[in-house]
Amino acid sequence: MVKITVNGRVVDADPTKPLIRACHDNDVDVPMYCYHPGLTPVGSCRICQVEVRQGDAPGRVMVACRTAPVEGMIVDTESPKAHSTRRECLEFLLKNHPLDCPICDKAGECDLQDYTYDEGQAAGRSNEPRRPMEKRKSLGEVIVLDEERCILCSRCVRFFEEVPKKAQLTVSDLGSRSIISTFLDRPLSGNYQGNIADLCPVGALTLKKFRFRARVWNLVKMASTCVECSRGCSIQVEVLRGSDVKRFRPRANEKVNGYWMCDVGRFAFGHANAEGRLEGARVIEGIAPVQTPIETGLCAVRDALMATKGGLIVVSPFCTVEEGAALQDLARRHQAEIAFVSPAPNALKDDLLHTGDPCPNRRGLTDLGIVGESPDALVKRISAAKLVVVAGERVVELLGADAVKNLPSTVALYAFECHPVQSGALRAEIGIANHVERMGTIVNVDGVRGPLAAAKPAPRSVRALTRHLEDLARLSPRREAAAR
Amino acid sequence: MKPYETYLLDRANVAGAHQLATFQKLGGYKGLEQVLKSGMTPAQVVDEMKKSGLRGRGGAGFSTGMKWSFMPDITKDPRVRYLAINADESEPGTCKDRVLMEKDPHGVIEGSLIAAFAIRASAVYIYVRGEYRLSHDRLLAAVKEARAAKFVGKNILDSDFSCEVFLHKGAGAYICGEETGLMESLEGKRGHPRQKPPFPAQSGLWNSPTTVNNVETVFNAPFIVQRGAAWHAGIGTQNSKGNFLCGISGHVNRPGVYELPFGTTAREILDEKAGGMWKGRQLKAWFPGGSSCALLTGADVDVVLDHDSLRARGSSLGTAAMVMMDDQTSIARVMEVIARFYEHESCGQCSQCREGTQWLSQIFRRIAHGKGQDDDVATIEALAKGMAPGKTICALSDAAAIPTLSAIKLFKEELIECIRQKRDPLGIPAPKYASVGAH
Repeated sequence: MVKITVNGRVVDADPTKPLIRACHDNDVDVPMYCYHPGLTPVGSCRICQVEVRQGDAPGRVMVACRTAPVEGMIVDTESPKAHSTRRECLEFLLKNHPLDCPICDKAGECDLQDYTYDEGQAAGRSNEPRRPMEKRKSLGEVIVLDEERCILCSRCVRFFEEVPKKAQLTVSDLGSRSIISTFLDRPLSGNYQGNIADLCPVGALTLKKFRFRARVWNLVKMASTCVECSRGCSIQVEVLRGSDVKRFRPRANEKVNGYWMCDVGRFAFGHANAEGRLEGARVIEGIAPVQTPIETGLCAVRDALMATKGGLIVVSPFCTVEEGAALQDLARRHQAEIAFVSPAPNALKDDLLHTGDPCPNRRGLTDLGIVGESPDALVKRISAAKLVVVAGERVVELLGADAVKNLPSTVALYAFECHPVQSGALRAEIGIANHVERMGTIVNVDGVRGPLAAAKPAPRSVRALTRHLEDLARLSPRREAAAR
Repeated sequence: MKPYETYLLDRANVAGAHQLATFQKLGGYKGLEQVLKSGMTPAQVVDEMKKSGLRGRGGAGFSTGMKWSFMPDITKDPRVRYLAINADESEPGTCKDRVLMEKDPHGVIEGSLIAAFAIRASAVYIYVRGEYRLSHDRLLAAVKEARAAKFVGKNILDSDFSCEVFLHKGAGAYICGEETGLMESLEGKRGHPRQKPPFPAQSGLWNSPTTVNNVETVFNAPFIVQRGAAWHAGIGTQNSKGNFLCGISGHVNRPGVYELPFGTTAREILDEKAGGMWKGRQLKAWFPGGSSCALLTGADVDVVLDHDSLRARGSSLGTAAMVMMDDQTSIARVMEVIARFYEHESCGQCSQCREGTQWLSQIFRRIAHGKGQDDDVATIEALAKGMAPGKTICALSDAAAIPTLSAIKLFKEELIECIRQKRDPLGIPAPKYASVGAH
């Protein structure tokens, strides 16, 4: 570590990292386009100019992303020279930019917009025609490229080279004719394409699944954790005006995902936004389910648990640590057995982020002492049991919807699920909140705890599983107490 | 002009000097032999270069001996090292290296090997401009001949020194003549210059210590080794030593490449070598060293050609490629052509250069075609100041800005007149150019 002075403040800086990192770590804003903390700096956009003085030499304007901090360096990020150099740079960058912010998805979170506002430069001197380029070039199933908006920062090019380590994009042609392209215009492939839309500092790379779906300033953003595999990437859930999830985006977390997430997790909001939710509670009377108040459903579960010893509680691997503990408590009270569904690893495993394990909270549930069992083994145990409570998001899907449907009617099945359960064995079902509607903690494969946030309101009369379990505990007197 | 001794082009003027037999008859490979057989150490060769006062002939004019001495100490840094010879001569107006490569390729190889010995390089890469077919073919044939005669390869002339010489053909990009762009290109990548530091001597080709020298620079080495640093230091002016190759082109009677000692005035070259301006016209403006240095006017023609004198006039010696323009030349057209060149050749990495060169080109084209606007000259000036100096990774942005600023400084009235009259008074009816993007 070396000591440098940034805007009059003496701070510690890591000499192996660029100066811009030291500035950012100390909450000094330095604009950047080509620089990204997760990628090798190239120093090509030239926007991160700061004034640097070393020893008695006069101040020099230098790019902060390609300058190493040196002991005693004096950095001024707000000097008139630094500002004027940045202003010149912005003017050049805007020379061919189409300024179609009103129809650009990036507007509102665009670095080009933000820094232009920061520098307060409203007018441009260019009245030359702007560079006409391809406005909507498909780069595969995930990404659309708008060549006109591109400022050629090359973050996307470096991303594929350095993160999935499979180069797919390049800057082709020269000078002002440069464009981002793939080899022979082949579509992009792989599970990490979506990241380049986050990386793009302007609106050149946009997600096909987000284009024209929302204006970013209307999105409510909450810090959460991805549940599509046991990596548990830190994400941001973005919800449009209390309705649907429009976007999952990675949150920087050095311990887990760095700055990235995979496309499987990124586009998993189908689950979060799914229609046809199970609301309130439904109790089977005769052969048809009847909508009842939640209390009625809970009472049915309680009565069954009180009446039958040796029931089986099947936990979804999507259950949080808190839910796991509450279900364990329930099992202990009613002397029931407990296990979580542990499906086989899927083929999505790679050596970057995706673990291939579909159980996001395997570590958390295992740490509680709940044992994972394969869906087949569990279905066998369920078929042999008299009383079964299945609890948690996607538990029926993981057990196998057909297997659950065909359970023998000798089984009394009670379910806490997000969606209605189809089964001849079903006695009652109660709706629960999904992973973007409830709070909780999950523990990833490496033991790092990640939060779930209630980013989106649950449908009416749908509550979190923990609320149901609390009420259930209140409704069912402890066995000892009942015996007394 | 005082009589002076020539040595650079002596062999080139002999027919057949590109073949080994003739070359050796003319004293070729004697310098290399001397270095390897007299027991000189690499440090002594570097020292000799420093004392000789030889400065790089690629444009920057940096001391060659100093540059060689920047290579890390072999005892502390055992990495393999390389010498790259910059033969990607593409500065507009420049054609001096071509003469050497075509007529005296063995001289280039000999110089390269002495340089390689001095910096302990195990391989020399000669990056030849793609358009220079004959240069490439002659060098290739020369390397073959030299290898057969044990001048190239393992244990050269039965000494401990081994060095391979490889040729690489450029593909027509000006930017690959920038030393770091050249290295990227040699590595098989796009010719995008690298940010310095690290400098090539610390981390160059394949992250190994590398020295990049111009063809003419290393061509001088055998002469200095043979005749001594003192002899070389005795020619020229205070800080510019020896003879240099001057390419003179433009509106002169006898354009060509001439060998001259530093200290010659531009007028002497123009009048005595190039036969004066053509058609009896007057000199209006000239580039002293290729299109990347500042324009000078006819009044500056008495300037002594060396690094210091030209710097004092606000220009530079560059590659000593003088481009002379007569009094009927339209500066707007000149600048249109030059700006178009830089627009076409910008690699596109840095924002200032990528957009700035295009913008300058658009404005100059407008002015030259009678569509200038009142604030154009002010805009050009502001843009050029935003592009230089030292604001980008390499010097191409500066190279576009410097002639632009000099044209504004010296010929502002003329440009304003073009804008005011809505036509170029000196312009010949120009052919309609396709837009630059259409190439």
